[in-house]
Amino acid sequence: MFDYVSFLQNLSNGVLIGGVYALIGVGLTLVFGVMKIINFAHGDFVILGMYCSVLLNSLFGWDPYLSLLVAMPLGFVTGALLQRLVLSRLMEAPPESSLLVTLGLALVIGNILLLTFGAEPKSVNVSYASSTVSLGDVSFSLILLLAGLATMVVIAGLYTVLNHTELGRAIRATADNRLGAELVGINTRWIEAVVFGIGMALAVTAGVVLIPLLFATPTFSGAIFTLKAFVVTVLGGLGNIGAAIAGGLLLGVVEVMGASYLTSDYRDAYGLLVFLLILLLRPEGLFGKTVKRV
Amino acid sequence: MKKHYIIFAGLVLMGIFYPQMFPGYLSVAITLLLYAGWATAWDILGGWAGQVSLGHASFVGLGAYFVAVETSHHEIAPWWAVLMALIAAAILAYLWGRLTFKLKGPYFTLSTIAIAEVFRLIAINEGWLTGGATGVFIMTLPEPFGLDLFSRQVNYYLALAFAAITVLVVMLISRSKFGYQLRAVREDEDSAMASGINPTTVKLKAFMLSGALTALGGGIYAIFLSFIEPHIIFYLLLSVQIALTAIIGGRGTIWGPCIGALLVVGSGELFRTTFAEANMLIYGLLIMVVVIFMPRGIVGEPARYLIRRVYAKRAQS
Repeated sequence: MFDYVSFLQNLSNGVLIGGVYALIGVGLTLVFGVMKIINFAHGDFVILGMYCSVLLNSLFGWDPYLSLLVAMPLGFVTGALLQRLVLSRLMEAPPESSLLVTLGLALVIGNILLLTFGAEPKSVNVSYASSTVSLGDVSFSLILLLAGLATMVVIAGLYTVLNHTELGRAIRATADNRLGAELVGINTRWIEAVVFGIGMALAVTAGVVLIPLLFATPTFSGAIFTLKAFVVTVLGGLGNIGAAIAGGLLLGVVEVMGASYLTSDYRDAYGLLVFLLILLLRPEGLFGKTVKRV
Repeated sequence: MKKHYIIFAGLVLMGIFYPQMFPGYLSVAITLLLYAGWATAWDILGGWAGQVSLGHASFVGLGAYFVAVETSHHEIAPWWAVLMALIAAAILAYLWGRLTFKLKGPYFTLSTIAIAEVFRLIAINEGWLTGGATGVFIMTLPEPFGLDLFSRQVNYYLALAFAAITVLVVMLISRSKFGYQLRAVREDEDSAMASGINPTTVKLKAFMLSGALTALGGGIYAIFLSFIEPHIIFYLLLSVQIALTAIIGGRGTIWGPCIGALLVVGSGELFRTTFAEANMLIYGLLIMVVVIFMPRGIVGEPARYLIRRVYAKRAQS
């Protein structure tokens, strides 16, 4: 007999955790769309957000969600600076170069965190950590709901900026056609810095949202988040924001469903297998436009 | 080319007498030689064929596990285990390449990470095959010709032989038809095809050779450690270390990966006390500096300068 309640329970958990994956993936895909670089440090930006929250909590006792007010602008400024100072030197270099530099950046961030905070996992304890909201027989964890809510607000904000402001138009123009954008007077170097800043701010936000749920560890989890972000973006098709959201939700559902109906030992492998299948069968992504191959 | 063979012979000779000169620093030297060998093996695919893989830890793990599991559970001598590992690694590389070589550039790199992660999870979860998450101990090893395979000296000479074999293979490749085919594929697959080279076959050969040599090093690594854990030996960081060692030294050069190994293992040793477990910080900083300021690597950049000067002189006269 098929158990509908636990199915719905798993589905809702998958969608909520998938929302956070989407948030991470959107940042990566936005950066790829505009700068055509694959940012290997993206997962470590998430970890940076987690530690930012941990630090503010231990210093001032701030609620994790309050630390968003500091973490987001800080992430934006750091990202923009990183782009101007480091990545902008590589715009003419072959695509692997940026991959390698961001990989180096990931190692640097992870190991500096390790030196500062030590290797033991850190978390923030909140009083509402185990509260749940019930809807019929299905109960939602309050933290996951808040995470989902934060994700929706941030993504809606990003959507508005991209589609209804002059800055968003400039970003979309740069992603579509760099030279064309420059010809109509858009400062594409400035746009790239802004976009990398937004990407980092999104990653940091995801980290802050995740800290009541997960432990922050300096070197191990960064790579996992980076991998998940890649899975999300490749699922949807690199460079496409709507598709990244769908990819994130799909990954969340696949992971939770796989863990509860198959075996939880391979929780991280399900997403990777789907990722490989898509990479091999539909490299343009599930929702990407089919590119005619010559 | 003759010069390279003279340098090679000199280095091997120095290597042979190293344990007599510095008996206290054998473990560092073994690590250095293993990384030099792995980076050189990685470079066959990553440098000469231009396919950046971040999944080579799978081959290290494969070699290590073949030796550990076969010797401790099935009482098969380690040299047979290594031979089996070489064949298994070549088959794995063939299948892996068949599956993923249609992906280009960064997409290929991402797929190697994903496949290697799946292998890591398999190694952790399939206890009946690998001994599970706790790892495998190598308790006893046979003593061929009365040699104690656990002793540091024997480990050292095994590692030296491994590094020497990989460098020799690359030296032979660099002047062979195969080597030129590899470079042609790296520079431009379409042009390579136009001149009658099948890029997939060439890349597959490179991957199989690279994977088998990496597994050889993995088997020696297992004997050196005599205890292997899936978390470490299949982990992405090991793949990253191998790839970065070669890239820092200089991709597609004979000595680049060795210089890279000297640099990263050496500096890792120097800063061991300062940074403790954060030793990957050096890799991160080095790779950023190298890619931004010396895109061809520490050996590649001056080599290119010299070659250009030779050609410039020829053009003048």
